[in-house]
Amino acid sequence: MTTVAAESLSTPSRTWSRYRHPESTIRFAVILAILAFLGWSVAFLNIDLSRVLGAFPRLAEILATRYFPPDVGYVTDADFVRSVIRTLEMSLLGGFLGVVCSIPLAWLAARNITISRRIAYPFGRLAIIGSRSIHETIWTILFVTVLGFGMLAGTLALTVFCIGFAGKLFSDELEAIDMGPVEALRSVGANPLQVFQYAVFPQVRVAFTGIAIYTWDVAFRAATVVGFFGGGGMGWYLKRTTQQLESTRVAAILLVIIGLVLLAEVGSGWLRKKIGRMR
Amino acid sequence: MSIAAPTSEHGFEAYLAHKRSRRINNWLIVAGGALLLAWCFWDTIMFDTDWQRMGGALGIGGTLARFFQVDWSLAPKLVVPALETLMMATLGTLLGCFLSLPVAWFGAANVTPSKFFFYPLGRFLMVLSRSIHEIIWALLFVGAVGLGALPGILAVAMRSVGFISKITAEAIENIDPKPVEAIRAVGGNQFQVMYYGIVPQILPVIIGTIIFEWDINIRRSAIMGLVGAGGLGLLFFRQMAMFNYGGVTLVVLAVFLLIAIGEVVSHFARKAVI
Repeated sequence: MTTVAAESLSTPSRTWSRYRHPESTIRFAVILAILAFLGWSVAFLNIDLSRVLGAFPRLAEILATRYFPPDVGYVTDADFVRSVIRTLEMSLLGGFLGVVCSIPLAWLAARNITISRRIAYPFGRLAIIGSRSIHETIWTILFVTVLGFGMLAGTLALTVFCIGFAGKLFSDELEAIDMGPVEALRSVGANPLQVFQYAVFPQVRVAFTGIAIYTWDVAFRAATVVGFFGGGGMGWYLKRTTQQLESTRVAAILLVIIGLVLLAEVGSGWLRKKIGRMR
Repeated sequence: MSIAAPTSEHGFEAYLAHKRSRRINNWLIVAGGALLLAWCFWDTIMFDTDWQRMGGALGIGGTLARFFQVDWSLAPKLVVPALETLMMATLGTLLGCFLSLPVAWFGAANVTPSKFFFYPLGRFLMVLSRSIHEIIWALLFVGAVGLGALPGILAVAMRSVGFISKITAEAIENIDPKPVEAIRAVGGNQFQVMYYGIVPQILPVIIGTIIFEWDINIRRSAIMGLVGAGGLGLLFFRQMAMFNYGGVTLVVLAVFLLIAIGEVVSHFARKAVI
């Protein structure tokens, strides 16, 4: 340790900061444990480190040779365009339903304004964390199993995904509000619904609109692959072409996805900026 | 509702007219949105759904009931895939951090090597990484390096580059320039400026972001098995293929548990760092 100090004589202040910590031992132990876990992971998963670095040139090579001339004719086909529109529909509907469901859940899951901390708070938290922690593709597969193939399953999966995504952001936003109006309304005897309507909602309306738009953006990104597992939309084309190893068509579909996601991101960013200015 | 407050010269009538136009505007937006949603609803739910095949409430109830008969006998087989998932997420996050170093460097406006070439490149890479879903990344890498945990790690890494490098670049752009100038003034070279002037300022933000991303990556690596990389996703896929819905439920519960653990760990880790 003293050798480290000797090496960096030009910046003594930094060397000092290291020794100021009384917990430096714990710190080193944690770093050591993380490194050990990483080493163990590499050994356990049997990863050939040379292949990690080789993967990127290889990916580039495969993209260049097999995927290269993207089959543009395939993605300008009317059926494919229809599936793109359906993807958009699913994301809109799923995002809307998700936002609608997540607002009451976020209300329950916000610690400062929840109806009851004993029952409603854990319920709201569990609902949001539960829908967040399971990935949207797993939700899709589950809904497809129960409800059959099609956009209904995809829309519901996106709804659950949006409940988790927007619910967390909403409840974070709700927990950061100014409690003054809430207490004022409570003290004059307003019921919880009135408190929400007149004290809470006006404070978070703009932020909620921004979050809702962002949720749609993310939902659209998820909607592009929901069809991969039978949820309807353009993902189905991706699955079909991947399994038939029609790489040029896959490339075209991927380009369409990237383009659309970029458009959605730019559009949602523009809208959010506009709404942010209304604050 | 009215942000533009009425001025005295316009008077009360003008205020009312302003409010009225705002209200009409809002109603138009709501009506347009409702129409759009109604069309979406019609097209997705009514038109595309095969209600006959679903078998009514009884059929759905029957399938659901099979999901609720949890197959606990599978539990011992879950440990190794769960560990694999966790490791995949950790290694993927680590690799993602390394990959996002140059991207963040290119994409931060104040330290980028060239504003005309590298800055747009860095920004483009950030968007590219985030706009391709992890399933698609995994498919590409399964094609490139074959089955196993490696494509999952690479896919998770590629997907997390966007977020980590975006936050890092923003942190670099928002640093206090004074320490950098001070180190330059006493004759520090480019590397010393980076190491002593920039890194200490952005490190807490970056570590917080990495922990957050690790948490999300557990979620992502849990599905990598669906397209041929290992972990809990593979088990999920197998149980699904065998129509062992009770086992599927157990796998989903295991994912939930793993993510709950990850959330707790990341909560405390972030508290310790920040």
